[in-house]
Amino acid sequence: MSQRTGTPPAVGNRKPSRLGRLGRAQNIPYLLLGIALLLFPILDSNRSQIDVAAFAGVWVLLALGLNIVVGYAGLLDLGYAAFFAIGSYAFAILASGQFNIHISFWILLFASAFIAAMFGVLLGAPTLRLRGDYLAIVTLGFGEIVPRVFRNLTPITGGVNGIVGVDQPKLPAVFGWSGNFGFNPIPYYYLILGVIVLCLFLINNLRNSRLGRAWMAIREDEVAAAATGINTVTTKLLAFALGASFSGFAGTYYASKLFIVSPESFSFQAVSVVVLVMVVLGGMGSMRGVIVGALLIYFIQSYVLIQLPGWIVSATTALNIDFLTKLDIGSYVQRSNFLIFGIILAGIMLLRPQGLLPSAQRKVELEGGTSDEAVADLGSA
Amino acid sequence: MPILETRGLTKRFGGLVAVNSVDISVEQGEIFAMIGPNGAGKTTLFNLVAGLYKPTSGQILFNGRSIYPVRDFWRTYSPPFAAYYMVLDSIRRGLGLGPMPLGLKPHAVTALGVARTFQNIRLFSYMTALENVMVGEHPRMHAKVWDSLLRTPFARREEHKVRERARELLRFVGLERQADQYARNLPYGFQRRLEIARALGTAPKLLMLDEPAAGFNPQEKNELMQLIQDIRSQGITVFLIEHDMKVVMEVSERIVVLDYGEKIAEGPPQKVRTDPRVIEAYLGKSA
Repeated sequence: MSQRTGTPPAVGNRKPSRLGRLGRAQNIPYLLLGIALLLFPILDSNRSQIDVAAFAGVWVLLALGLNIVVGYAGLLDLGYAAFFAIGSYAFAILASGQFNIHISFWILLFASAFIAAMFGVLLGAPTLRLRGDYLAIVTLGFGEIVPRVFRNLTPITGGVNGIVGVDQPKLPAVFGWSGNFGFNPIPYYYLILGVIVLCLFLINNLRNSRLGRAWMAIREDEVAAAATGINTVTTKLLAFALGASFSGFAGTYYASKLFIVSPESFSFQAVSVVVLVMVVLGGMGSMRGVIVGALLIYFIQSYVLIQLPGWIVSATTALNIDFLTKLDIGSYVQRSNFLIFGIILAGIMLLRPQGLLPSAQRKVELEGGTSDEAVADLGSA
Repeated sequence: MPILETRGLTKRFGGLVAVNSVDISVEQGEIFAMIGPNGAGKTTLFNLVAGLYKPTSGQILFNGRSIYPVRDFWRTYSPPFAAYYMVLDSIRRGLGLGPMPLGLKPHAVTALGVARTFQNIRLFSYMTALENVMVGEHPRMHAKVWDSLLRTPFARREEHKVRERARELLRFVGLERQADQYARNLPYGFQRRLEIARALGTAPKLLMLDEPAAGFNPQEKNELMQLIQDIRSQGITVFLIEHDMKVVMEVSERIVVLDYGEKIAEGPPQKVRTDPRVIEAYLGKSA
C-alpha cells in the first residue's frame, strides 16, 4: 500500500472509522500476515526456528531506526552500530551482576532507548555541518570508537569478555506460565513482535507529521528547508536521536536475549554495514521495504550462508567430481558473506537502485517517470 | 516605519564587493522592485536579508527590529547564549570593534515573517505540491516531537488545519488540481507558482521574489503580475528582483537600481526610467 494514498482525493470525503479501514481489501494481506506471525510459534514446534525469528526482529528494528536517519532525513550514517552498542551496554550495566544493579527490563527498555537518543544527539552534533561522504566518514569513525571504548573500559564494561549474565525480562505469571523468559524463545518472539509493532506505529506517525515533512525537506534541499523556517540543526539532531532510540530498543532486547554483551557484536562489519545493506536493499525511506530487506539479509546470513557449504559438499560428491571436492569450496563460501553483501549492494545499485519495495518518492526519483497521480490527473482532465 | 531597512549594508567576497554600503527601505504594503545588470548584487542582498549570508558591515532592520547585528540577545537566544553574547558584545564595543557580528539564522528570519523564492527554483522535488506548501507552514505549526510521535489529537487537528490551508494556498496560486503531483513533475511555470505558494505558507509579512517572471511568456507574465497584486492586497509587502522591464514598470510602486553593488537610483518607475545613470548602467556610456 502506498502511504501516499493517505491524502483524501476530495475534501469532505469522510474517512471511514479506523476499524472500518482495517477491513479494506488492500489491507487483507497485512491482516493475514499479522495472524500468521501471531500463530507462528504455535504452528511451528521447532524451537530453534522460533529463536532465529526472535533474533531477526532485532535486525528489523535496527533497519527501521537507520531508515529514519538515512531514508527520511537523508543523512548517510555508517556508525549506526554505536547506538546499538550503547543501548545494549546501557541495559547490561544496569541489569546484571556487573555492579549488582538489577533494574526491571521494562523500565530499561525505554530508558536505554532514551540513553541511545542522548548519544545520538551527542554524536550527531559534530556532524551537522557535514554532508554526504564527509558525514559518512565521521559517523564511520564514531561507529568504530564506541565499541573500542567499551572494549577498553574494562572496570565498567568487562572489557573483551563483556558482561555475562544479563538479566532477563519477567512478567507476572499467567496461564500456568511462570512469567520468566529464561531461554525460552517463545516469549522473546512475542516481545520483539510487540516492540516492532509499537515502532511501526511510531515511525508511521512520524512519517506523516510536521517532523517527518521537515526531515524530507532537508533531504531534498537543505537551503530551501531553512528558508521555509525549518531549524535544520534541531531537525537533524532529532533524526539522529530518534533513529538511535530505536536501536536502543533493539540493543536492550538483544542483550537480554543473548544473555551476554561483548564488544565484538557491534563492529562495523557485524552491524553498521549489514543494517545499511538491509535499508538499501529493501528501499530507502520505505518501511515495508526495509523490513523485507532486513529479513532477507538476516535469512541469507543465518541460514543460507551456514547451509551453503553443506549443500556444495553434497552437490560435488553427488556429481562425483573429485577435484571439486578436494578444492573445498564450501569453506570459502562460508567465509564469503561480505563478498555476497558486496555483490548484493552492487547488484541492487545496478539493477534496482530504488530497492526491492521502494517508497513512493524514490520510485519517482529513480524511474524519472510521472507518478500515478499525475497520470490519473491527465485522465480526468 | 519601513518594514525592511538596510543601512550601509556591505558584503565582500574576498576582494569582490558584492554589495557596497546600500541603504534601502521598503515601506509597509508596497510593491518594491530591485533591478540592475547581472552581477549587480541583487541576489546577494536578498541572501543577506534572508540570513543566508552574514554581512561584512552595515545593519538590517525588519519591522524596526535589528536582525543584523542582533541587539536584543535575550529575545533571540536561549539564556546562556544570550548572556555569553552580551558579554562578548560589550567587550567588543568597549574596544571599539563594533557590535558582535551576530545575525539571525535563515529559519529564524522566516519565522519573523520574511519569506522568499529562489532565482533557480528550489522546490522539494520528490514531495507533492501539497506537501511542499505544508512544509512552508512548518514555522507556524506547534506540534512537538511527542505530538508527531504519538499523533496526539492536537497534532491531528493541526495537520488537518495545515492541509486545508495548504489547499487554499494552492487554489490561490491556481494549482489546486496539481496538489498531489510531485513538484518535479510540474511544468516550469507551475513550479514558480508553487514556490510562491510555499513561501506564502509561512504567513510572511514581507515576500521576497527573486526573478519570478524569468522564462515566462507574456500571458504568464500578466498572470504573475495579477498574482503579485493579489498578494499585496492581502497586506503582504512584496520585494522583488526582476529583469523584465515590462513587469517591473507595471507592477512596482518604487524601484531601486543596483550596479556593481552600489545603489545608483531609487524612486517611482517613471523617474528611474529616465535617470541618466540607470540608462548608462544598462546601455553603456554614450560616446
